[in-house]
Amino acid sequence: MSLPNPSKGWRSSSSRLLALYSALFVAWSGILMGVMYYEVSAYLDNLAKHSLMQRQHLFSRFQGEQLVDALAVSMTFDIRGIDAYGLFDSHQRYLSGALRFIPDGLPLDGKIHMLSDCTDSDDPTLPTDSCDAVATQTRDGRWLVLVRDNGSLFAVTRIILHALFWGVTMTILPGIVGWHLLRRRPLRRIRAIQARAEAIVAGDLTKRLPLSNRRDELDMLAAIVNAMLERIERLMNEVKGVCDNIAHDLRTPLTRLRAQLYRMQQQAGEGSAEAAQLDLVLGEADTLMARFRGLLRISELEDRQRRSGFVQLDPVALLQELHEFYLPLAEDDGLVFQLHLPASLPPLKGDRALLFEAIANLLSNSIKFTPPGGAVILRGVNQGGHTRIEVLDSGPGIPEAEREAVFQRFYRAEAGNQKSGFGLGLSIVAAIVSLHGFTLELGRSELGGARLVLDCRQSLMTPT
Amino acid sequence: MTRILTIEDDAVTAREIVAELSSHGLEVDWVDNGREGLERAVSGNYDLITLDRMLPELDGLAIVTTLRTMGVATPILMISALSDVDERVRGLRAGGDDYLTKPFATDEMAARVEVLLRRQNTVTAQATTLRVADLELNLISHEASRNGELLTLLPTEYKLLEFLMRNTGQILSRMMIFEEVWGYHFDPGTNLIDVHIGRLRKKIDPPGNAPLIRTVRGSGYVIAEPV
Repeated sequence: MSLPNPSKGWRSSSSRLLALYSALFVAWSGILMGVMYYEVSAYLDNLAKHSLMQRQHLFSRFQGEQLVDALAVSMTFDIRGIDAYGLFDSHQRYLSGALRFIPDGLPLDGKIHMLSDCTDSDDPTLPTDSCDAVATQTRDGRWLVLVRDNGSLFAVTRIILHALFWGVTMTILPGIVGWHLLRRRPLRRIRAIQARAEAIVAGDLTKRLPLSNRRDELDMLAAIVNAMLERIERLMNEVKGVCDNIAHDLRTPLTRLRAQLYRMQQQAGEGSAEAAQLDLVLGEADTLMARFRGLLRISELEDRQRRSGFVQLDPVALLQELHEFYLPLAEDDGLVFQLHLPASLPPLKGDRALLFEAIANLLSNSIKFTPPGGAVILRGVNQGGHTRIEVLDSGPGIPEAEREAVFQRFYRAEAGNQKSGFGLGLSIVAAIVSLHGFTLELGRSELGGARLVLDCRQSLMTPT
Repeated sequence: MTRILTIEDDAVTAREIVAELSSHGLEVDWVDNGREGLERAVSGNYDLITLDRMLPELDGLAIVTTLRTMGVATPILMISALSDVDERVRGLRAGGDDYLTKPFATDEMAARVEVLLRRQNTVTAQATTLRVADLELNLISHEASRNGELLTLLPTEYKLLEFLMRNTGQILSRMMIFEEVWGYHFDPGTNLIDVHIGRLRKKIDPPGNAPLIRTVRGSGYVIAEPV
């Protein structure tokens, strides 16, 4: 069992919040700049109109040659190419000034008009785009056209765009940095929580999720989960306590029962009918005691207090010992029992006695359920740096539908019902395997029967 | 006469222990609490103590520890309702010589007591050869011979035979054999030990010779002079 990996596909809520905040800030500053732009451009527009009106008034006082001079002089002050003029005769023919002809669509009414397309000229001193223009008739009948580029607005636009650019950059850059930083810390904390949670999943219910002293949402959540764990642990202990009490209460009566039956059997005359009957009863009592011990053993193993006894061990020696232990039994049952081993296997971490017991149970089952003439193979494989132990047989195999069930207490495969066995073997194996954090898989072997694969890679983090 | 001290708080269990051990010709004193048990263990001259792990007043583990620190070397068979594997290790580490968990069979308990008593004697004997009838086992060269004929034994078979012969005439349960010869403490199923004994039997009891290894129904095996 494994918990979701926090580094894949998961995002930190605070970094998301920061991203949202940045986006809002950018949108908000855009609106602000837009409003500013609108206000400033309206103001400047007004200003341009005013200055044009002032010039109109100024030049209306001049007459004849005086007007031409005044216009020429006024242009020397305008170096930015904002103002321009054109002087035309009463027939609107060009006389002087930068404007060679009266702009199209300019009514000759002495009022200020805004033209979208001001002049059609290559002269850089003339405004080309939109402008304010006014055509006034002088007292001597000539036409004076004054234009003023309101395109200084363009400069304002540029300034505002600049401001917007820097503003957004200054928001987004620290935003990205902040997003990254904000993301790292909660993820690190989540990883710490995950490590702890895995220890709890692995069975160590005394562990709690880590709390920081920041008292934030994560801590709040961790505290809630911890309270829950507290309750679960208490309930588990209560249940275990009840079971232990029942178990303990049964030990003494069973001992008494067995002892009294044994005494009766001893006292009964050799070869008598009672003695034979008592033999059977005694056998039943022994079976009962063996099952009872098996059950106690599983609950002990599920307690998971034995990890402290784990050592590095060599699987080769273990498998050889197991092979030697089971070979006579297999041969007596008419089976070929082979040990397939590479020259060496990666060491594994575990309790030697328990691993011996687990694999012994697997072998015992394979030998029990494989009919005479069949084969059983015990195999050690170096699977990319860790050891895999396989037990294969040519027996009936385990149907897919029953593969889950065989690890439950007292389950025995349908096909093998006539054989004796406590049905606890595989649940003991399952308990030992999960205690070690190994995995056990069932499948079909190349021999035609069951294939049990014990993958000795510790899949769970060992609690520290 | 061999004297045994039984420290056990359950009266019925204690009565059965006493009855079983007495039937083996042992003299048994019974004490039902830890404090008195410790006193008797220290003062009385006992050959062996069976000690319940959980006792009123003074806990069994504390009694072992106290006895051993006081230098009392009497063999102790611990009987415990705590079957936890670590509990067993703790009991043996504290100075217990053997550990039996409840529920237990009284015959198995008696067999363990006998083995413990015998172990004490053989330690002093320092024999280099074990002999049962015409079967001989050399403890130094690790060679076995029957009727002068050398037998080829596998290492496990040798260990098995040595354990049987060190306890000649003594019934050994399958559990005891498995614990002693293989060193593991779980139930491997009855027939596994039977098969190993069967192998050994074939080698040391060839047809024509009187069989030395006898099966005791419901209890285990014994090697003894043929009757």
